[in-house]
Amino acid sequence: MDPVLAISRPYRNRTLIAAAVTLMCVTTSAQVKTKAPAEGSSSAAERGIGLASKGRCREALPILKKARAEITNRDLKYDVLMSTARCAMGLEQTETAVRTLLELNRSFAKDPEVLYLTTHYYSELALKASHDLASVAPSSAQAQQLEAEAFESQGEWDKAVTQYQRILEQNPQRHGIHYRLGRLFLTKTPPNSEDAKREFEEELKIDPNSAASEFLLGEIARQAGQWGEAIPRFERAIKLDEGFVEAYLALGISMNAAGKFADAVTPLENYVKMLPDDPAGHYQLATAYARTGRKQDAQREMTLQQETAAKSPRTSPQQ
Amino acid sequence: MRRRSAQGHPFSRRRFLQLLGAAGIGGGIWAPSLFSAAGAVASTAAFEEISATASGIAWTHVSGRSPMAHLPETVGAGCAFVDYDNDGWMDIYLVNSGPCDFYEPSPPLRNALYHNNRDGTFTDVTQKAGVPGNAYGMGVAAGDYDGDGFPDLYITQYPYSTLYHNNGDGTFTDVTAKAGVAAAGWATSAVWFDYDNDGRLDLFVCRFVDYSKAKLKFCGDLITGERHYCIPSIYDAMPCWLFHNNGDGTFTDVSKASGITQSRAKAWGVVAADLNNDGRMDLYVTNDTVPNFLFANRGKGRFEEIGILAGVGVSSFGKARSGMGVDAADYDQDGWIDLFEANVDQEMYSLYHNDKDEVFSDVSNPNGIGVATRLMSGWGLKFLDYDNDGDLDLLLCNGHPDDTVEKRIEGVKFREPMLLFRNAGKGFQNVSQESGAAFSKPLAARGLAIGDFDNDGAVDLLITQNNGAPILLRNLAGRDNHWLGVRLVGTKSNIDAVGAKITYQAGDLLRHKFKVGGGSYLSSHDPRMVLGLGKRTKIDWLEVGWPQPSGKKERITDLPIDRYITIVEGEGKWK
Repeated sequence: MDPVLAISRPYRNRTLIAAAVTLMCVTTSAQVKTKAPAEGSSSAAERGIGLASKGRCREALPILKKARAEITNRDLKYDVLMSTARCAMGLEQTETAVRTLLELNRSFAKDPEVLYLTTHYYSELALKASHDLASVAPSSAQAQQLEAEAFESQGEWDKAVTQYQRILEQNPQRHGIHYRLGRLFLTKTPPNSEDAKREFEEELKIDPNSAASEFLLGEIARQAGQWGEAIPRFERAIKLDEGFVEAYLALGISMNAAGKFADAVTPLENYVKMLPDDPAGHYQLATAYARTGRKQDAQREMTLQQETAAKSPRTSPQQ
Repeated sequence: MRRRSAQGHPFSRRRFLQLLGAAGIGGGIWAPSLFSAAGAVASTAAFEEISATASGIAWTHVSGRSPMAHLPETVGAGCAFVDYDNDGWMDIYLVNSGPCDFYEPSPPLRNALYHNNRDGTFTDVTQKAGVPGNAYGMGVAAGDYDGDGFPDLYITQYPYSTLYHNNGDGTFTDVTAKAGVAAAGWATSAVWFDYDNDGRLDLFVCRFVDYSKAKLKFCGDLITGERHYCIPSIYDAMPCWLFHNNGDGTFTDVSKASGITQSRAKAWGVVAADLNNDGRMDLYVTNDTVPNFLFANRGKGRFEEIGILAGVGVSSFGKARSGMGVDAADYDQDGWIDLFEANVDQEMYSLYHNDKDEVFSDVSNPNGIGVATRLMSGWGLKFLDYDNDGDLDLLLCNGHPDDTVEKRIEGVKFREPMLLFRNAGKGFQNVSQESGAAFSKPLAARGLAIGDFDNDGAVDLLITQNNGAPILLRNLAGRDNHWLGVRLVGTKSNIDAVGAKITYQAGDLLRHKFKVGGGSYLSSHDPRMVLGLGKRTKIDWLEVGWPQPSGKKERITDLPIDRYITIVEGEGKWK
């Protein structure tokens, strides 16, 4: 079977997608009734919403598009945009649908219904793109990579490994594949850090600028307590990507663990600037300060550690 | 500065943590075979299991597992090696569940005291002794609080605890009310130690969350209504108890005056040891979902909690873990007592090296402990020299607290095998795989007590299981080397000599051992100290550093080997 089609098999039936959108439209009609605009308003917008709620999207959409710019009432604007988005999705007017969803997300950022609709539609777009990729280049490296990533997301580790290896057989120099293989080996239960290490090293031969590979090689070393190897790996990761925030923390942790407390201060100070809400940075920085005689600074960071940790208490056993 | 990572693979915090954890368990590092090759220790089993038929220990723990998933059901219970009749042979005490507001066992359950018959078998003497427990049992701490020469038993329970005074005639009397140590609430581990150096054993009792049937919360599947055990973060923390021994059979609750109540706990484990070598016993308390405590004893009856700044309060990521089992020992012989903490799966256990000046470093990764415990949840644990080579090894008992975990988390098991790490002088090596079948047996382990029940100098193990039978393991490895067993009896210092230090020289072997209070989880240990000599056939001298208020040092020579001796403070000789 074509690899990309295999990924999206459950969603291939366009009828099903259309039915889902129709269902969403029907759901909307019920919701629209509860969010009816103020009495006395007889705008075109209301008429558009009414048509949309009856599934008459071809008539509704031009009215809604025209009306939306003039609406000031927030509730009415919400209903107009939602109706517009749903109708555009049903009519496969992708540009209108995406623009409307973007506006909804700007104006009603935390609305669950907006987020739900957005998730569905973006998923549909992703599936459509995968279909297109499957039809135009079914044996391309991109298609194979997409399939491998799909296997990965489903926890089908062995299938994903086979797929990545197939890509490398066809194109041994392709960037990112060894890295993904390495990450896969770390994700397996139990993880396989030896194979992961080999893959990250291979990635670096192909792409010496792979900061992520340097980082994970550093992590493997850090977990084994090999600070002498971990520290230069993290330093290189930062040099390659100065915005690689976790590398600063990992470097600071490794420096502290190696007893290089003074050297740990700078990366950890950078880290807490970038991620001030993470107790890890404050804790490690407090340790570095305390061990270098900066008691007051240590106390300040310890207070911040406690404050930030309190903001994110564990709520599930494996959090 | 931009916040991103390379190659368009942003690392979410969660993803990062997953990778950090996962990275350590790679086959090459994790695979037991590699440790085995490095270990190169005895190829025969180090421990063998004594069947219930052989030992006569027919008692079984019953948790009372209910659909309501009350938290105490999954965490008990403890055990003890205790020579209650002073005949020189370690007896066994086992704690069971019992009646409380959420549980009415039918038929009734009871704790068990087994008398050691000196032939590898035991006889249940609970009824005669009068130590059945009287609530939902958790743990046990043995200590001679009144200095009459017979060990007493403090049984931690929910919703109140019990002190059994040893009458010296094979019976005990419940003196809880008179002593004033009922500790109303959910008590877990407890430890006898002398915090104010007055020569009497005081009592520290860990308290877990604010819990009762009425306060039960729902954790589980909202659709099906099926419950699983809650993570303790949803319950309120409560302060632990510290009871001062008044010397007249009564105690004074000094929890507040000592500063203990300033720290709200969800405490499972405790060990008492002088961690800063100032002559005062400190406390290390492991907490679940709140930072661990290091109560530094500042004298004059006051403790200062310094866990986080000391580096033993939270993980290296600055977050509280699920601290459970705990112990303390100077594993690297630098004169400063180190710490060990077990946590729940994904958190890894921590070996904390004492860097002096009240700071510690987590050295579990270079010792292979972090990676080996990645998926484990640890309860009973203890430093012990199982092979009598003079170096302190490490034994870890494991088992996930939630019996539904296998449905939820890949790779994590409810029943998990024990782990044995051998101290090879320059670090620990995981020798579990070559140490016998006992180390591949999945257990719902909870308590661990160490003690030499057959008096052969090889320290044996008693492990309790949640809702299951206890496991008695005879140590075979320790028999291959020479040893000297020492029972210390304090006169000016506390009678159990908790806090003492023994230093000894045997040829090229110079070692010391601290006698800490408590350690492990809900359990109490053989009070005798076994000094491993390796193949050396002579011990040159032994020096006892008695705890305060004595502080005296006594050097003793002309010592025997391969037997137990008693040293009484001030007598300057052994007997």
